[in-house]
Amino acid sequence: MGRLGLKDSDYWVKLVMFTCASVAILAILLIFLFIFRESIPAIRQVGVGNLFFSTNWAPNVSKPEAGHYGMLTFIWGTLLTTFGAMVIATPLGIGAAVFLDQIAPDRMARTVRRGIELLAGIPSVVIGWFGLILLVPAIARVTGSSGYGVIAASMVLVVMALPTITTLSAETLKSLPVTLKEASVAMGATRWQTIHKVLLPAAREGLLIAVILGMGRAIGETMAVQMVIGNARAFALSPFSRTSTLTTRIVTDLGEAAGVFRSALFAQALVLLVIAMVLIILIRLVSRRREAW
Amino acid sequence: MRKWIAIGLGVLIALWVALSAGCASGSKLQGKTDTAIHGQVKTAGSTTVLPLAQEAAVEFTDINRNANVEVQGGGSSAGITQLKERVIDVANSSRDLQPGENNGTLVDHKIAFDIIAVVVNPSNPVKNLTKEQAKAIFTGKITNWREVGGPDEPIVVVIRDQASGTREVFDQRVLGSTSDKPVQCVASAIEQASNGVVREVVASTEAGIGYLSHGYVNKTVRPVNLDSAPPDIENASSGRYPLARYLHMFTRGQPVGAVKSYIDFVLSQKFQVEVVRRAGYIPIREVFKQ
Repeated sequence: MGRLGLKDSDYWVKLVMFTCASVAILAILLIFLFIFRESIPAIRQVGVGNLFFSTNWAPNVSKPEAGHYGMLTFIWGTLLTTFGAMVIATPLGIGAAVFLDQIAPDRMARTVRRGIELLAGIPSVVIGWFGLILLVPAIARVTGSSGYGVIAASMVLVVMALPTITTLSAETLKSLPVTLKEASVAMGATRWQTIHKVLLPAAREGLLIAVILGMGRAIGETMAVQMVIGNARAFALSPFSRTSTLTTRIVTDLGEAAGVFRSALFAQALVLLVIAMVLIILIRLVSRRREAW
Repeated sequence: MRKWIAIGLGVLIALWVALSAGCASGSKLQGKTDTAIHGQVKTAGSTTVLPLAQEAAVEFTDINRNANVEVQGGGSSAGITQLKERVIDVANSSRDLQPGENNGTLVDHKIAFDIIAVVVNPSNPVKNLTKEQAKAIFTGKITNWREVGGPDEPIVVVIRDQASGTREVFDQRVLGSTSDKPVQCVASAIEQASNGVVREVVASTEAGIGYLSHGYVNKTVRPVNLDSAPPDIENASSGRYPLARYLHMFTRGQPVGAVKSYIDFVLSQKFQVEVVRRAGYIPIREVFKQ
């Protein structure tokens, strides 16, 4: 390779990089097309209204056509658990980021950062297992319910989303121009006033992106949620209800699903894909505004 | 640079060859290999029996190098149909033949016995349930333990996932569910994907009730009697305990050659004790001893 002229090796490098990029794009396209194609039988036989907007989930394994496949319960389960997780993880994450960037002395900041990176590295199934043996009994003791349900799932999701939100928010705060803080302090603002009224608003777009990415992590989480949410097919009317999310329903049922049943599970995967795409588009919109600023 | 790439590739290939050679024999039962038995055995059917059949196939072909066993799923009904159409040699089934299904040629080999125990938390004083009570609890008509003689606590029902053969038997025998008119369990029931996890949930939930394969019952959960019959082999094989079934392998006529050896292997003491029992089922000889 070294014997060839610069022009030739440049061409090969470009070709290799282009192949890598196309593989990624091709994969995403194929996955989307495959999932869409597999959901069509369900969309056709069950009907859009009954499939996406009905809470009647009663599959029939031996006679798939005779079952009912309304996934609204699980869409609601996904939204509820994600919302519950975000409500806790967002202030915690941004607070931790502010602490890391503005308040902590260098050595403490480094230790806390390592801790958060370690937290991000724990496999979701391990977190789910801890949820199962520690969190669920604790919730059962405190609330008198079985312990399984939306609350346990939200808490587990907080642990999964927190590192993402914290690290990204900390990055955003670090990238703010130092002059911003200096100007505020020079005007006589206290530390909290600086953080609250100057830095956080300035970092708004980056923080939003951090939260959206954390939300994406929470929506897609399967293993950890499946171990603590109860996998019931009941509509969650309270935070203590046992229910299922789109992800846990797919992983619990795909074992022997056939015919329309299997297609309905693919339709759930389609909904997840659409939600993920919406989140990514949201991020693009937010960051476009940020670049302009 | 090219030299290093070549060396790297060479090491990788050598590693791959070494690993695949080492992984070739994964047999749990160490035995002498036999080359006398040869031929093909095609099996298919119940997904409940599938893990047993697959393990048997692996170990049988490890010992009998000239034999080849194919195992597929598809369900008990599909397996029996394929057997009658001469597509396969052995049909695995988790249910008996329905009346009219035997065209006169099918021979039944019972290979294991499956008792499903309804279990509650050890702190629960309830010791017996009638079938109607059990059905009412699991379908959500009875929601509090005090309605069946227990403490004043809402019942937490634990069931298995849709793919489970255990759930299939339970739904059919206790709920009266059929494929035309399925009966759903209560919507708030906790659904778990294995016997072991069901046991853990019931063990750690005081108001819990669930069902599992007999082999999974241990001190952390307590089985209840159904219609005053305890879930043991004697009551189950006599029919007094309603939640039990045989696991079958059907053949066309009496088996010969490789098929016969395969069935004999599945019924052998070693396989029954080491594999069937570990899967949570009851070795067939223990039933016939009754």
